[in-house]
Amino acid sequence: MSQQYDVIVIGGGNGGLVAAATAAKLGQKTLLLERHNLPGGAATSFVRGRFEFEPALHELANYGSAKHPGGVRQLFDWLGLDVKLQAIPDAYRIINTGDNGFDLRMPTGVPEFMKTLITAVPGSGPAVKKFFGLAVESAEVFHLLASDPTKVTAESLATAHPDFVKYAHRPYQTVLQELGLPAKAQEILMAYWCYIGIPGDEFEFSYFASMVVSYVAMSAYLPKHRSHEISSALVQSLLDHGGEAWFNTEAEQLIVQDGAVVGVKTAHQTLYAKQVIADLNPHTVYSRLLDPDEVPVMALKTANARKIGTSGFLVYLGLNQSPDELGIKDYSTFIDHTWNSRKQYQDMQKLQGNDFMIMNCLNIAEPDCSPAGTTILYATQLFDDPSWQNVAPADYFRLKDQLTEHVIQSYEAATGLKIRSAIEEIAVATPATFARYLRGPQGEIYGYYGQPWDQMLARALTLQQEDEPLPNLHFCGGSGYLMDGYSSAYQSGCMAAKLAANKNQQEVAAQ
Amino acid sequence: MTNPLTELLAERQAHIEAGATTPLPTHYAVNDLAAALHPETQYLRITKVVNHGTTAKSFYLAPNSAQGTQHLAYFQAGQYLSIQLMIGHSHVTRAYALRSAPQAALHDEYILTIKLVPNGFVTPYIFAHWQVGTLVTASAPMGQLTYNRFRDQHHVLGIAGGSGITPFYALASAVADGTENFDLTILYGSRKHDAILLGDDLAAIAANSDHVKLVNVLSDETYPGYEHGFINLAIMQKYADLAHTSIFVCGPGALSKFIASEVAPLHLPAGRLRQELSGQLPAPTPTKTTPATVQVTVKIQDTTQVVTANTKEPLIVALERAGIIVPAACRSGECGWCRARVISGDVNVPKIADHRRAADREFGYVHLCATFAKSDLTIEVPVHDLANQFG
Repeated sequence: MSQQYDVIVIGGGNGGLVAAATAAKLGQKTLLLERHNLPGGAATSFVRGRFEFEPALHELANYGSAKHPGGVRQLFDWLGLDVKLQAIPDAYRIINTGDNGFDLRMPTGVPEFMKTLITAVPGSGPAVKKFFGLAVESAEVFHLLASDPTKVTAESLATAHPDFVKYAHRPYQTVLQELGLPAKAQEILMAYWCYIGIPGDEFEFSYFASMVVSYVAMSAYLPKHRSHEISSALVQSLLDHGGEAWFNTEAEQLIVQDGAVVGVKTAHQTLYAKQVIADLNPHTVYSRLLDPDEVPVMALKTANARKIGTSGFLVYLGLNQSPDELGIKDYSTFIDHTWNSRKQYQDMQKLQGNDFMIMNCLNIAEPDCSPAGTTILYATQLFDDPSWQNVAPADYFRLKDQLTEHVIQSYEAATGLKIRSAIEEIAVATPATFARYLRGPQGEIYGYYGQPWDQMLARALTLQQEDEPLPNLHFCGGSGYLMDGYSSAYQSGCMAAKLAANKNQQEVAAQ
Repeated sequence: MTNPLTELLAERQAHIEAGATTPLPTHYAVNDLAAALHPETQYLRITKVVNHGTTAKSFYLAPNSAQGTQHLAYFQAGQYLSIQLMIGHSHVTRAYALRSAPQAALHDEYILTIKLVPNGFVTPYIFAHWQVGTLVTASAPMGQLTYNRFRDQHHVLGIAGGSGITPFYALASAVADGTENFDLTILYGSRKHDAILLGDDLAAIAANSDHVKLVNVLSDETYPGYEHGFINLAIMQKYADLAHTSIFVCGPGALSKFIASEVAPLHLPAGRLRQELSGQLPAPTPTKTTPATVQVTVKIQDTTQVVTANTKEPLIVALERAGIIVPAACRSGECGWCRARVISGDVNVPKIADHRRAADREFGYVHLCATFAKSDLTIEVPVHDLANQFG
């Protein structure tokens, strides 16, 4: 049997792009298949009039400065990416519009962040300091886990970091409570839960805390030309290292021989590969790319035990006034009438009364993102099952307008700013939009929901064991071992390519 | 002491072991909604043809379930379909605005009204071949000449030239039946009274709605109750308070250009003038060094072929002539479906039609419908793997 490729990557989202670029960089003969005509999945951009919108990225984590590079910057440098990213000035503004509400701007830099928090919540000082102590330790351990989880076990962690394992998997909110953080401080520290979609009473402390440290200490970053810049640079890296990328090409079927994956069928081609990396939701692979009798029982049980992740509703606005004229000063503004994350999560399961939103103003981070005198603003909401379950096509456009109205009204009311009369361009993405372009089940944008046993620690520590549910098949992306998010998907793609390349090298050595 | 992480892994194992062995779903409600709104391809059948004199026809379309289209996609008034045709050896697409009301789509009916362009390539073919029973392959509805209550003023002035009336016909119908909630005044430019496409039907819609007003503007003759001349600023101001009006234009490029120059002195807030171009882009001014024709090496997946391109035509035309099924929809540079990579050679992308993403400019991608060759080229084109499909 002729091996046409060492590695075929199916799906060119963040994970798949890095997987393909990494495999090619490691000398593997690599082909990337992407169903859409663009790379990146959600990591793309779209043009309306004189605006180019960012569809998905809020804050790239783990990038860091040139002097103190994070894992993602190191990966991008290693792949030779021609990209320009810059740091976002502040961490976030958080507004609670409910009773006993508040409106706070949280800066970057751990000392500055702590100072602002302690000033806002008098008496929280000792607990805040303890929190950051644990959070910094968590971040260090997570750095090890993220860069190569195959070198870490539950036992090695217990030996090297005995304190860490005590609190690592306990719910974030429980740990905050035990540290003695006042309720308001807990709410302020809850802002980022929405990036992973697990409410604080279920979200493992160590991951949440290291995410806070990552953003606060290293800052979040944004590419100059939206996510499409990074996605295009990753394709370029793949091509520069001798790989190929075929767009508008759907992997229709995995070829299985003797229980092992040996290739991919497209509409017109049968392509053989030693290893296949899927940047697809495993649900999709098992239900559409394999015959039912080819899916191993354990793979099926795993998929059935997991829960499909959250989807999103985004409103993209191109405004014909500058942020100065509009009075907008913040990059990220988190708004809700409650900061009880469990309540927020429950509200996401309904079409009405979901008040949680993030508003981002791209110009604050990247002043040249739109023409002088204009502003790009976009709102993000999350929606979970069964909220969109019964929406019919005939209701769709009216529902979009209704939810958009709610978002614009809520933002104007919470901030006192007026944006409505400046709207020059508008686009709205719904769960159906994500289902259309990304093709995940129910339009999920977060892979699998992080049930307590299916969060970062459990996924990372079982990565090697659960890799290759069928021999030669690897997964990466939003359903991967670091869960959803750009930096996570990038690193999961890198890891999948390394596992695939290692396996190919071992087989060469064995021959 | 027990290790909580060991317990966690045991818990994970237990949950997985307890997982069901029932087959995974093959359908999801949200994905089905997406597929209903944005089908990859709509397979249609012509059920009725109505002649409007000798130069225009309306084609009534229904889903052709034998090819897998059970229902027509709902849409927003003002959107278009990209129609795929094979004429001789050329696979081409053309964008035609849906003339029928969105409500009709819910009853599985679309109407396209197409005007004959006597020396054109596509419309003579359509006029000669499309009849009741003809199968038509179309995209999902697309395009942004739609009303948006957050972006647009409550009063919209629709300016149409010739067959540019079709999206306004759909908008007028949607306003009249309550699907859309705004006031629409249509300034409809035609040459002569007898040549007004769909004039009587439009007048009937306007007569029955308080929110739709029709003003005919004749360039070549006077007629009682009609405006005479070109649609200029004075006529626009006669029918609209332009400080509180959104202007939508659909028609030939010359009309759009003229309207833009007429309203320029008013310095309207950006976004108040919205246009959808119809027709192929004009060729860029040739330079002495540009040859009349060039050779284009086209890489598609793992194949390569060489085609000849006329430097006065967008690159997409050369590929279509060679029988390549290029992904395409809007044909005015905007939608980006025909995005392709320039590996080597020089191209010209007219500024007016350059709607590319910033990173695409940096990494050497173009939209083939809005790109002209200046030298021999090598390009990579992502022909759809299911080349009879859109998307």
